[in-house]
Amino acid sequence: MTTLALTINGRAYGPTEVRDELSMNDFLREYLGLTGTKFGCGAAQCLSCAIIVDNPDGTSTTSPTCVVAAANFNGKAIRTVEGHARGNELSALQKAFIEHFAFQCGYCTAGFLNEGQVLLERLARKPVARVDLETTIAEALDGHLCRCTGYVKYHEAVRDVILADPKRYLV
Amino acid sequence: MQPSRREFVQWVTASGIALSLSRLALAEEPSFAARQTLPGRQRWNPAATGVGRIDGVAKVTGAKLYASDFRAADMPGWPATTSHAILVRAPDATHVYTGMDLGRLKGALEPAVVVTADDLARIGTRVPAFYAGDLLCPIGKTPLYLGQPVALLIFEHFDAFDQARLALRDGTFVRFGEETGPIVGPNYGAFRFTRVAGPTPDAPDVYSPIQAGWISPARIQDSALPVWSPLARQTPANYAKGAVYGEQIRAELAAKDPTLLVLDREFETQSVDPMFLEPEAGLAWFSGDSSKLELVLGVQSPYDAAEAVAFMLGKARAPFKPARINSHFAYMGGGFGGRDHTPFMLYLALAGMFFPGRPVRLAHDRYQQFQGGIKRHAFKMRSQIGVDRTTGKIRAFAADHVLDGGGLANYSPNVATVAATAAIGIYDVPKVDVTTVALHSRGVTAGSMRGYGTLQTMTALEVLIDETSAALSLDPIEFRRRNALGPNGRTMTGNPYTVSVRTPEILDKLEKHPIWRDRAQEKALGAQGGKLVGTGVACVTKDYGSGADCSFGKIEIDREGRISIHCDHVEMGTAVGTAVANRVALHLGAVADEITLAQIDAFDELALVTSGDPYTMDQKTQDAAARNPRWVPSLSTVTTASIGAHVGTQAAAEAARVILRFGLWPAALELWRIPATDPRAKQWETAAWKDGHLTMPDLAPLPLARLAATAHSRNLVTGASTHAFSRWAWSRARFQVAGVSWTADIDALAVRRGDGKFQRLDRSSVAFPPTDNNRIGTTYTSLCGTLVRVEIERASGALNIAKAYSVLECGRTLVPEVVRGQAQGGFAMGVGYALLESLPPYEGGPGNGQWNLGQYLIARGSDLPLRDLEIEMLPPLTPDEPPKGMAEVVMIPVVPALLNAIFDATGHRFQSLPVTQKILKGALA
Amino acid sequence: MRVKFFVLVAALAASVLAAYAGTVDQTKLVPPESFEGIADAEARSAAIFTELGKVLTHPRCVNCHPAGDRPRQGDEGRLHQPPVARGPDGHGREALRCQTCHQQANFEPGRMPGNSEWHLAPREMAWEGKTLGEICRQIKDPARNGGRKVEELIHHIGTDTLVGWAWKPGFGRTPAPGTQAEAGALVEAWVKTGAACPSK
Repeated sequence: MTTLALTINGRAYGPTEVRDELSMNDFLREYLGLTGTKFGCGAAQCLSCAIIVDNPDGTSTTSPTCVVAAANFNGKAIRTVEGHARGNELSALQKAFIEHFAFQCGYCTAGFLNEGQVLLERLARKPVARVDLETTIAEALDGHLCRCTGYVKYHEAVRDVILADPKRYLV
Repeated sequence: MQPSRREFVQWVTASGIALSLSRLALAEEPSFAARQTLPGRQRWNPAATGVGRIDGVAKVTGAKLYASDFRAADMPGWPATTSHAILVRAPDATHVYTGMDLGRLKGALEPAVVVTADDLARIGTRVPAFYAGDLLCPIGKTPLYLGQPVALLIFEHFDAFDQARLALRDGTFVRFGEETGPIVGPNYGAFRFTRVAGPTPDAPDVYSPIQAGWISPARIQDSALPVWSPLARQTPANYAKGAVYGEQIRAELAAKDPTLLVLDREFETQSVDPMFLEPEAGLAWFSGDSSKLELVLGVQSPYDAAEAVAFMLGKARAPFKPARINSHFAYMGGGFGGRDHTPFMLYLALAGMFFPGRPVRLAHDRYQQFQGGIKRHAFKMRSQIGVDRTTGKIRAFAADHVLDGGGLANYSPNVATVAATAAIGIYDVPKVDVTTVALHSRGVTAGSMRGYGTLQTMTALEVLIDETSAALSLDPIEFRRRNALGPNGRTMTGNPYTVSVRTPEILDKLEKHPIWRDRAQEKALGAQGGKLVGTGVACVTKDYGSGADCSFGKIEIDREGRISIHCDHVEMGTAVGTAVANRVALHLGAVADEITLAQIDAFDELALVTSGDPYTMDQKTQDAAARNPRWVPSLSTVTTASIGAHVGTQAAAEAARVILRFGLWPAALELWRIPATDPRAKQWETAAWKDGHLTMPDLAPLPLARLAATAHSRNLVTGASTHAFSRWAWSRARFQVAGVSWTADIDALAVRRGDGKFQRLDRSSVAFPPTDNNRIGTTYTSLCGTLVRVEIERASGALNIAKAYSVLECGRTLVPEVVRGQAQGGFAMGVGYALLESLPPYEGGPGNGQWNLGQYLIARGSDLPLRDLEIEMLPPLTPDEPPKGMAEVVMIPVVPALLNAIFDATGHRFQSLPVTQKILKGALA
Repeated sequence: MRVKFFVLVAALAASVLAAYAGTVDQTKLVPPESFEGIADAEARSAAIFTELGKVLTHPRCVNCHPAGDRPRQGDEGRLHQPPVARGPDGHGREALRCQTCHQQANFEPGRMPGNSEWHLAPREMAWEGKTLGEICRQIKDPARNGGRKVEELIHHIGTDTLVGWAWKPGFGRTPAPGTQAEAGALVEAWVKTGAACPSK
């Protein structure tokens, strides 16, 4: 057993004792009822279970939850799909996903949303040239599997959010 | 966000068990969601590309929507704790099953309950005919198929379950003894489709399935494959007659006629997994006190799923027979056919029954989903085509299909017939003879999946057509044009389509597209750069509908003009709810505020009854039953076969028309002060909605809210509830509404006036589509053509899809962005099928429980031309052309177009799938 | 005596051949002493390296010494899913770093291998698709072995924790043959016998 205390969507959880072999995915879904984070493959191959980790240095990264022990998140701050909107105000990326009809069944959406959001935050810190944007988006999202959409609209939605604020995201 | 739920109750009696079905509602009221999502865009504007999905906010905020999201604590009135079950499956089907190594689950890992075949026998479960076979393999028997369940292990607490599942995952938990070889079973169905056209296009056919009925050869016990000869023992007379024509066609093809080009080819397709992203999951709670079994499920066929569970437990001994079963149906994380009639809910229900008082969750992980989920049939096909060398016209086509159906029959006979009747694609062929048989095997059960067999047969066909064109030195598009079936031409079963057939337009679009036009130039350029560049084309037509489809729809409009909709179809990503709302908005001028799906119990006012099987009923029985004004051939069907737009929205659209005609239109006449004697009073169909206002030339536009208020205050029709049924044509009935005769493509109607209650209106006459229509392959079809350009690296075999274009027609598109999205998704699935996805059929295949997405590759973004995939939708032929199904057809031409492009690039004509990088590399070495 | 010696060499040669034909136990390593019968130091050294080759060409090692920028995975050595690339430092691209999934240690429930140093071998150390002789010459070349002297390879292969993972790879993956210590002993013996390479 390991002690786990972490921050999820700005709220402190724990400390609580968890089994070393409890996955973060099960901690979120079975213990906390936060089922917006999905379970797709259990092997980090579809990334529908990805969440955002806010690093102490101000950067953010995504992490799959199905192949990582909950205990490994001790002391960390994470965000899940449930934490993007501020009250009823959706984030720019959430709005773009809706307006682009980016998803169909929606089961992979949380993963794409988190990955896209981390990309936006990375670009805000380290903008890229317009000419590199397509590759940047493609590399960022390529780990995520979607069976319904053919990916086109997800990419368009992310691209549109970036192009709507070029001063922020592009050099 | 916390989910809110609405419960609807109707009791359907099956096996003495009362059934009810309700839907798990959206996390927030759709009206709220719609307002929050897209402020100011709710007003219907036909020029707009779309207004967002009704489930948009829920899906981007992680609301609990899917069956896999729910635990007992999320269900009001349930105990707080969730128990967990493991469905143990056999990774072997050639040795005798001897039991489980339960010794490794001791102490904290010990299951609270172990359910085996003995337990099922003890309590007296029955297996629904559709799922015939042991639900759990008994000790001492060889499993019927790889992945056959052997036991349910139920753990009271998550921690024990979580640890136990690790302890038994190594493939040795289930034990086997003596080698027996696989279980041999009879085939699941064998059919022959033969048609000989008359001497001229107008002349009646000499022989066709629609004239003579569908035919099957004799079942011969000691032979796995049927004997197709008309002379075989015990051959039914109707079979022998058709088979004689069939053999004549084959003789002509074999006659070495110098005027006839004959190609004889074999083609094989692989088994694949639908790979919807949410593995099957559900909750079951049997409350012993109330004898009620509650289920939470996500399936494409709610009605049939609930009935199957009731049948299974219908004769069980006390206390294993629930008095009531209440099923809650959730949104699905993908389906693609793979959630249509899977046996999963039977095991879920058993888990609940064997742990009374405790809510039990059964959920596949991905390994288990590969091991137990329904697969696409692998096909072996032989096709022969005979083309007149002078005219370039196809004279005859013969084919033989063998499907691997896997361990249970499931939909195998249906997939076989749909595949066979699609085997001549878009073409007009005067002589056709196709045999098909679906075999039992020890493979994982195959069933419904997007394309439903036609993906396989039309891929083989379109590759053959490409080769035939080349052999005749004809341009492949010109060859297709010469042979395309015209709008009034007859399909293989002998009937024409009853919807638009726009092959020439599609072919023109393909021919003029730069991908096609520039193909030689691009090939030459590629060669200079050391790349093999090729361009491929394919064009297919795919039926939509299953031949007995129906929908319920109920619309209510309040005093403020707010619209609410109830519908029985389900949502698996295809935006059925949004499509219904948009179709209703065409008639009522605004998108609904409330849309509730997956309901079959919100239509009590219609008080419908049914009997018999709509697929096999004879005309006399139907005529007799139809005398009861409350009888319909079928109540509620599966959301499948691309029927969401066409059938799923039909009842709601007709309800909306009733409200327009008998509620809003008379209100408008009053507001416009047009008396009944004015000729304009009858011109309701010419009125048009514009920006939420009803408009007529030279009259002041009237806002919907004002019309609704007037309709309410004048006690006009403000609500309508209908049922629609299609057997390759709609039921059509006449009603008296407000003293006016009203005929529409529905078979039941109830209306509400003002704020009153719904009242059923008995139909004064009805015409159900004739039962002979069951001999039709299809009359509904949509077309799609695809062009692809590939670039192949000779040394590595790496293939890059540089550009692609798909053009389709599907009548009026209800949600254009969803149609586009389906086409993009279909493209991706086609790429996976053609180039990546493959499951070994037996040992080493998914039945071993060790498959996951590292080994099974589906298309990723990097496999696709994300910026160079162009989708074109032809505008409807007429503004009011009904919507046509398109979710399947968009996937199909992608596969043969890729194979044809690979041939163009490499000179290799691949006759089996998938064509992986490794295979390409080998072929190019 | 001489006759006996030749028999031994022949037997060894046969065993090496057989090893690659799959009839000898691929899960074990033959200790360096077994090669003492080979009088010719260079031949002995090369034979020892050939034995070590069971480890070097094992999927546990080759998967992360790939020919391109994308690692492989599984006993079949299939391309890594999801697609990842070595990135500027061998630890992945910015969008998907190795450590995102491969954390401090194996996570058995997810069948996920882990080690704090998880990364790809540099491109110049690619072994995939190479013969054992080529791998051997590459390993000796400071320009292609991370600037190591051959003596340092004893430590790298014998005690390095990331290399050591190959013998404790977790559920669903076959461990490298023998033990890390046995592999280290083979390296040491190979170095001491002159670090000769097999010709092929």
